[in-house]
Amino acid sequence: MAGNKKKKPETWSAGPGDADFRPLVPGPVAGIASLFVPGLGQMLAGQLRRGFLLLGSLGSGAGLLIWRIHLLAHREADLFAKLLKAFDRRPFFVGLVAACILLLWIWNAWDAYRQTKPKTRGGIGIFVLIVVIFFSLGWQISEINPYKMIKELPDAISPLSRVLWPWKVAVTREKQEISARAEILIGCEEGELPRIPEESPGKPYLMVEPRCGELSRLDEDNKVIKGTVVTLTGRGFVPDTVTQIWWIDSLSNKFRPRQEGQYVSVEIDKNGEFTFDLVMPYRLIPPSARGPQYHEVEARQVTGLGKLMVGDPLRLTLARMAETIFMGMMATFFGIIFAIPVSFLASRNLMSHSWVAMLIYYLTRTVLNVIRAIEPLIWALIAVVWVGLGPFAGIIALTFHSIAALGKLYSEAIESIDPGPIEAIQATGATRLQTIMYAVVPQMIPPFVSFSIYRWDINVRMSTIIGLVGGGGIGFLLVQYIRLLDYRAAGIAVWFIAITVAILDYASSEIRQRFV
Amino acid sequence: MLEIKNLTKIYDDGTRALTDISFEVEEAEFLVIIGLSGSGKSTLLRCINRLIDPTEGQIIWNGTDITRAEGAELRKIRRQIGMIFQHFNLVKRSSVLTNVLSGRLGYVNPLRSLLYRFPEKDRKLATDALKRVGILDQAHKRADELSGGQQQRVGIARAFMQHPGLILADEPVASLDPVLAHSILGYLEQMNQEDGITVLCSLHYLDLVQRYASRVIGLRDGRIVYRGTREDIRRMTDEQFREIYGAEAVRVSAGFEAKGGE
Repeated sequence: MAGNKKKKPETWSAGPGDADFRPLVPGPVAGIASLFVPGLGQMLAGQLRRGFLLLGSLGSGAGLLIWRIHLLAHREADLFAKLLKAFDRRPFFVGLVAACILLLWIWNAWDAYRQTKPKTRGGIGIFVLIVVIFFSLGWQISEINPYKMIKELPDAISPLSRVLWPWKVAVTREKQEISARAEILIGCEEGELPRIPEESPGKPYLMVEPRCGELSRLDEDNKVIKGTVVTLTGRGFVPDTVTQIWWIDSLSNKFRPRQEGQYVSVEIDKNGEFTFDLVMPYRLIPPSARGPQYHEVEARQVTGLGKLMVGDPLRLTLARMAETIFMGMMATFFGIIFAIPVSFLASRNLMSHSWVAMLIYYLTRTVLNVIRAIEPLIWALIAVVWVGLGPFAGIIALTFHSIAALGKLYSEAIESIDPGPIEAIQATGATRLQTIMYAVVPQMIPPFVSFSIYRWDINVRMSTIIGLVGGGGIGFLLVQYIRLLDYRAAGIAVWFIAITVAILDYASSEIRQRFV
Repeated sequence: MLEIKNLTKIYDDGTRALTDISFEVEEAEFLVIIGLSGSGKSTLLRCINRLIDPTEGQIIWNGTDITRAEGAELRKIRRQIGMIFQHFNLVKRSSVLTNVLSGRLGYVNPLRSLLYRFPEKDRKLATDALKRVGILDQAHKRADELSGGQQQRVGIARAFMQHPGLILADEPVASLDPVLAHSILGYLEQMNQEDGITVLCSLHYLDLVQRYASRVIGLRDGRIVYRGTREDIRRMTDEQFREIYGAEAVRVSAGFEAKGGE
């Protein structure tokens, strides 16, 4: 190449593209022109596109830099102070981009000069600089921050691990309440001592000793006079658990006594037994009370020891997942039904026989493109306004999008069919409808099946997230769990989405391969 | 029975495919059209059954002008004209039988046919047609499972199902080897001679032309440059042949002879 150029320096063909190129101005003029207006020199040198590219990138680069500087230092009044402040806050970003823009400006002048010389025309070095400028701007504008990712990882591990392994809440046990009571006489002066409760095997048992005592009281200075210390002895509880102690007064009011500010609870040993010294709590004896007052103390356990149950998150997830799959299926079904006739109207090869048909063709195409340009999530928002929250809104949204997407795919399949059989069937004197039925439809079946299954796949995927905007399905549940910070439940939903999509992906590709 | 008057076809992109073509086709003739690829043979044949609309001129078929026919009238004319294609143009995913039956589409009840239902009489006709071309045992195979020669026989059976007065054959043997070519043209000759069906056929190989044609028309750049009878063709020399095909032409008598040109 280089040798070639040297051999015939008088030809102008060394530059890429045009062979007979003449710069409008001499080199220095081009250079100076580019110094004043970036890219002008290149345009004068006959490199119109290169000139516009340089002008555009330098202009927009500088504009974006000024915008970011303004944001970094919006309080400063004049430009220079802004620049200093911004440089102070983000020295690397501001310094790099400003330096690159300055360098690009100078380089652009030199480049303009070089563009007038056939030997040095072209060259892509200058574009590397443009890439650097826009990469730096992009980094800053989109707030990319890898440091933050690392710094905040430890805090994120706990919720993330719950999402990753959420199965703790998948299965729960039925809640069971176990309790045992013992009576106690208030004041030992009057009344009979309560009976010692009988112990029966298999049931929890509580005994209190002594069986009478004084409640805690307040003296004149509102100081607590501690009541009698009674010893609670319990047997037959669930081993290695925590049990709550409750107090029940003579009017059957239940409350949890406190000791040193904490609710009283006891730990059951491995034999299911405990002993605990309880200070009798403070309780006013109502003035109207007559005769001996009997209170009760209760040891109460609420344990998940009942039979195994599917947890709420799992149950709801499964229900919503079924809803999701059927949403996708119904949307695909309706999509196919409407897309088939539409696709015939949107096929150039079937609609090119008259100008009315061509008009219909262009209209259909335009409508399909507009519908397809609007994301299903936005259709869902519209449908929610229309028919309210729930899966039906999601189905409407997905159906709209499916009609447009399938209509386009189908019509492209129709356009790519072999025209030979069509002319052969036409030549037999068949009507248009017969021609479609005999020459078009048989050719259409494999792509139709393939696209339809693919669409079902996409629709189920879409219906997992269409719930985010209230369109029903599992997304509806997922977004609720995430907002409630219930990461385990959300994790279950995420797992099921992943499992379903993976199975579907596999199944749809298998079916498509078998069929086509 | 068929008269073509001053036929001209200019495509939308400005290509001039046919210029002022006039000739007559007699009842029960085997008229062969020769010419290079791009000389307008396919366009001419497709103008006759209006798969392509001619720009100017008339095509008179038993007294009616095909170029003016529309709708039902055109379909009625088309069903009397069978067509055979170079690439067979079978519906590949349909069965052989369905492909043959589709030759009756111009005759049957259009609504019933949309459900792929044909009268018993037509099914009988299809069986006979398949028997005639010797592939009755393949009737329930998918069309694309057949070999090239068998597929063209299905094409012939389909055309025969129309009970045509005329068969247009657009290079029916160009994608087959010479042995198969004779077998396929043999069926056309048989229909021509036994059933009195007029055949209008475009061909490439001179020896096939010499063997089957009762009359020959030569096309070059969309104009008729040669008209000859069976005897003229038999006496045809390489020079005359080259005149039709142009200076760069090669005598491809069986497709294997020495090359000219370079």
